[in-house]
This record gives sequence, structure tokens and C-alpha cells, in this order.
Amino acid sequence: MSDRILYDKGLVKRHSTIVLIEHWAIAISGLLLVLTGIFQLPIAQRYYITEVPGLTWSGDFIFSLNIHYAASVVFIAACLFHVFYHALLGHKAMLPKKGDIRQSIQVIKSFLGKAEEPPFHKYLPEQRLAYAGMVMIIAGLIISGLVKTYKNIFAPDLSLGILLWATWVHNLLFILFVLAFFAHMAAIVIKPNRPMVRSIFTGNIRLDYARHRHPLWIAELEPPPALPEQTQPETPSREPAGEEEPLQDVSLPEPPDTEEEPAEPAPESEEEHPEPPVKNIGEPDTNHKP
Amino acid sequence: MSTQSNSGISRRTFLKAAGGVTLASTVGLPKPTRAQETGRLATLIDLSLCDGCPERDTPACIVACRAKNIETVPEPVDPIPKLLPRGKIEDWSKKKDVTDRLTPYTYLYIQKADVEYNGKQKTLHIPRRCMHCDNPACATICPFTANHKDTTGAVVINKNLCFGGAKCRTVCPWDIPQRQSGIGIYLHILPTLAGNGVMFKCDLCLDLIVEGRNPVCVDACPRQALLIGPREDIYAEARRRTESMNGFIYGDTENGGTSTLYVSPVPFDLINAAIDTGPGKPHFNPVVRSMAKTDAMGTAVLLAPIAGLVAGVAAAAGSLKKSSKEEGPHE
Repeated sequence: MSDRILYDKGLVKRHSTIVLIEHWAIAISGLLLVLTGIFQLPIAQRYYITEVPGLTWSGDFIFSLNIHYAASVVFIAACLFHVFYHALLGHKAMLPKKGDIRQSIQVIKSFLGKAEEPPFHKYLPEQRLAYAGMVMIIAGLIISGLVKTYKNIFAPDLSLGILLWATWVHNLLFILFVLAFFAHMAAIVIKPNRPMVRSIFTGNIRLDYARHRHPLWIAELEPPPALPEQTQPETPSREPAGEEEPLQDVSLPEPPDTEEEPAEPAPESEEEHPEPPVKNIGEPDTNHKP
Repeated sequence: MSTQSNSGISRRTFLKAAGGVTLASTVGLPKPTRAQETGRLATLIDLSLCDGCPERDTPACIVACRAKNIETVPEPVDPIPKLLPRGKIEDWSKKKDVTDRLTPYTYLYIQKADVEYNGKQKTLHIPRRCMHCDNPACATICPFTANHKDTTGAVVINKNLCFGGAKCRTVCPWDIPQRQSGIGIYLHILPTLAGNGVMFKCDLCLDLIVEGRNPVCVDACPRQALLIGPREDIYAEARRRTESMNGFIYGDTENGGTSTLYVSPVPFDLINAAIDTGPGKPHFNPVVRSMAKTDAMGTAVLLAPIAGLVAGVAAAAGSLKKSSKEEGPHE
């Protein structure tokens, strides 16, 4: 894992270059797949899309299928790379954890101003849930797409039952994929989430933002406090595993007195998450200017 | 009941396919065929035999085909919904009697060609219908799998699932499927915005051939110009007849191969020049399979999971190696 704090820059490295390449390969090829997938319906001519400059090919089913295939090569290879690369390296930050559903409800409430946000790990609970959902959608799209491709080239008389399944799974998951994409875009429109957006372009997020909103992650990244006598006895725990219990208790403990608050200790299992008042911080915290 | 009649009829199928004596003598007696045992079939259309049924108002094959199929086309709604933002309604329901081209009510018609070849004037009558291609783009490219190639070789449109977008006709080299607007599933969804009816074409009488029976056109032909049988036998028979008449064959390589072989004493380019072609009136041009252009990229798609897997494992191994090197000195 390349996550680390870049103290001199006031940033936290959140995504490695490999992750950025994975994300953008999947994103760009995925959007191209959506577009050319739509063009597999006989609508381009009917809806004047063929007359849009640059899209005159949209009514050519053979050509658009070739683009669909080319995008699939990138998409499928990137997805499989993603799964094997991160599985073998034991990266688990995106995998859903116990309690994520309950927590994400609280997070959504907090967006509406009706609750406090719980402290986050590297990802928000809804990011982990969305990831799991997207994995299922994409897996279904890939498997059904491979069946359809195999049929196109090698087995046009493949069992009608299998083909109907593959076709309709592909079509319905296409709709879910598009909805998931819109949800993904909507998530970054939400103000408190915006500081995360830069990381998918640069790999980094602001340290001050991360300290406030992702203390459980920062706790993992920060070295144990160097000044033992100065810090409180509650040493930062390295493995903030069970964050589902403390949920109820995050309601505003006393704000830590200094801006230093090294690595908000994320207590292992017990309640007191001595969180900073994690409000929806969309803006830089001036206290933490690098 | 079916078992008994099946075996009887399949025997007749075979004998017809065998062209009478020739094949029967080489292949031996037919085995009873049941639906699940029906292998890949092919049909042979012998243009040296078809005379267009001069004694009848309408050739027997057309009559038989329409008698079986015309009633299966539902009556369109009235009025047929207009299409937005654009699109042409195709309504043949008031022109059901048209038999000089393919329509949603006529899956088989006869082209006439007056041809001069080798100094001789010949008139050919040519039954035209779906070729039932080996790898039919019309079926593979259907976004709803409403069009499917059966293991018998028949390419069949499911009229309950077809939206009538006519993509199948666009990719068909012969313009075979024909649309009737105002019927079908699209009426229940967004009739003005998506879909435009149902596509119709010959299904090789799939319901009959899976029972080991013949398509009705084959049975109706008084001159046995139409044959059906096991694919290899029909291909062999077509070659034999072509050789014996010093003739020509069409359909064996066209569009990557089909289940319909035309055998003719006259070259097909001459026939093509002599027939009416256009919408609903197929040509006899050479045809390259258009989907072949996508085979290479499609194969790459099938290999992409392996590429991703290998790259992922390699990158992870590289990363582990790197980190163990970095940590090495400490341990």
C-alpha cells in the first residue's frame, strides 16, 4: 500500500499511480462501453445521432460493435488486473465492513444535517458498499458480455436459454451501471465529499481534511507518537477494526484542545471515539494549513 | 403419436434430401429422427427443376408458406402509433396479397430471370427466402435475442420479443426480414419513442423440422426442386448436381456459409443481372460476412480476462518483491 502522509506538502497519498491508471482505464472504457452499448440499439438514425459531427458512425452497428469490443478489452483487462493485483497484495480498504449499512445511513443523515458523521477510514462506508455493488454489476456485465461475444464469433446457435439470460442480464445491468455512474457523480457533488475528488486526479488529499474526516485511516498511517510523556495515555490503536459499535457515541466529544491532535486514536473496540467535531468539512481547515 | 409419424416423415425427408436414388444408395437407409436428434440441416434449391408452377395462379410453395404463416401475424392496431422523432411506419396489413417480393405476410416468393447463357435462352424461376446463414448477423446482433439460430440451422425470430427496430434487416446482406408496424411488444412500452413493430421472415418451419418433418414449401413443391436433409448430405448432393449439370452453386460460401444452397445451370452473376432487386427483393451478389470484421477484436475481448489476470499477478508479484527488498536489510 502506498498510502502515506506527506507532511512537507500537507497531503496524504491516497491512491498509487497504479490505482489511478486502473480507475481511469475503467472509467473511460466504461463510458465508451455505455455509449457504444446504446448504439447497439437501432436508435442512432432515428434520433438524429448519426448527424452529430463526430458520431456519424453511430448508426453503423458493425463499426460501433468493434469500438464496443475495443473498449471491452481495456475494461475487462483493467477489472481483472484490479481484482488480482489488490487481492494478492491484501488491500482491503474498499471492501465492505460489518456495520457499513448502518453507518452509511448515518452519513446520509449527516449530509442532511440530521446527524453527526462517524469517523472514517480511508473510504466512507457508502464508498465501500458502492464498491461492492459496482463489483457485482461489472462482474455480471463482463460475464454476460463474454458469453455474447463468444456466441457472436464461435457459437451463433448457443442454447437459446443461455443467450436470453446473457442478453437480459447484460441489458438490465447496463441500466444499473448507468444509474451507478450517476450516483458516483452525485456523490462528488455533495460538498463534504469534494475534498476527496482531487485524489482521483493527483493521488493525494489534504492532510487537514483527512485528519478531520478520515481519522481512522490517518491513525494507521501516522507513526506512534514520538513524545510519549506528552501525549495522553490512550495510545493510538493501529487497527481500528470495529467501528460499527461506537456509532452512537460519536456525538461530539470535547474538541481536542490543540490543532495537533496526533492521529486521532481510534480505539480498538470500545466506545469513545474522541473525534474532532467531524462536521461536514468541505473547506480547508485553516488551522491545518501546511 | 409423434414418434410414429416422425419416423415415417423423416424417412420421406431423407429420401427427398437424397434426391431420390443417388444418396440413398451411398448413405444407406435412414434412421428414425426425433426432435432432439435433429442435427444441422440444410436445404437445396435446384433451379434446373423449379418452373414457377406455370399451371397455377401462385406457385405451390408460396401458397403453402402463406397458408401456414399468414394467420400467425396479428392484426396491427389502428391507428398505428406515429414514430418520434422520426421513422417510417411499415404497414403491409392492407397488402397481404403481395407475392412478388418479401413482406411480413410473404416469407417466400419467386423471382423470374430470362438469361442467355452459352448461346441458349433460359428462363429460371427462383424461390427466394431467408438463407439461414451459418453465422447470421441478424441473430447475433439482435439486442434482445429476439432472433436466434437454432441448432437445426434455422434462424428464427421470436415475434413476442421483437421490437421491430429492423437492425436485423440492416445487417442482412439480402434484406430478408420484413417489418409489420403496429404489432408486438413495443406497443406496451413506449410505442412512439422506441420500436416499430415486429420483423418477419422464413423460420424454415422450425416447429415442423424439429419433429423430423419437412418445411411446407418442400412438401408442396410438385417438382421436388426444394430439398431438405442433413447438412453434409445436402452439401454433397448440391456439389454432385452442380458437377453433373456443369453448373453453379450459391450459398455455400456467401456470408460465411449458409444452410441454403442454390444449384443452377446458369452463373449467378447473369441471374443477378436479370432479376428485380431492391427492398424485399434479394440479389445474387457475392457476399462477404460483415461481422467478420469484428472477429479479431471479439477474440481479443475473450482473451482480455487472461491478460488482466496475468498482468495483475505480475504487478502484485513485482510489488511484493520490491517491498521485500526494501524491508530486507531490517530483517
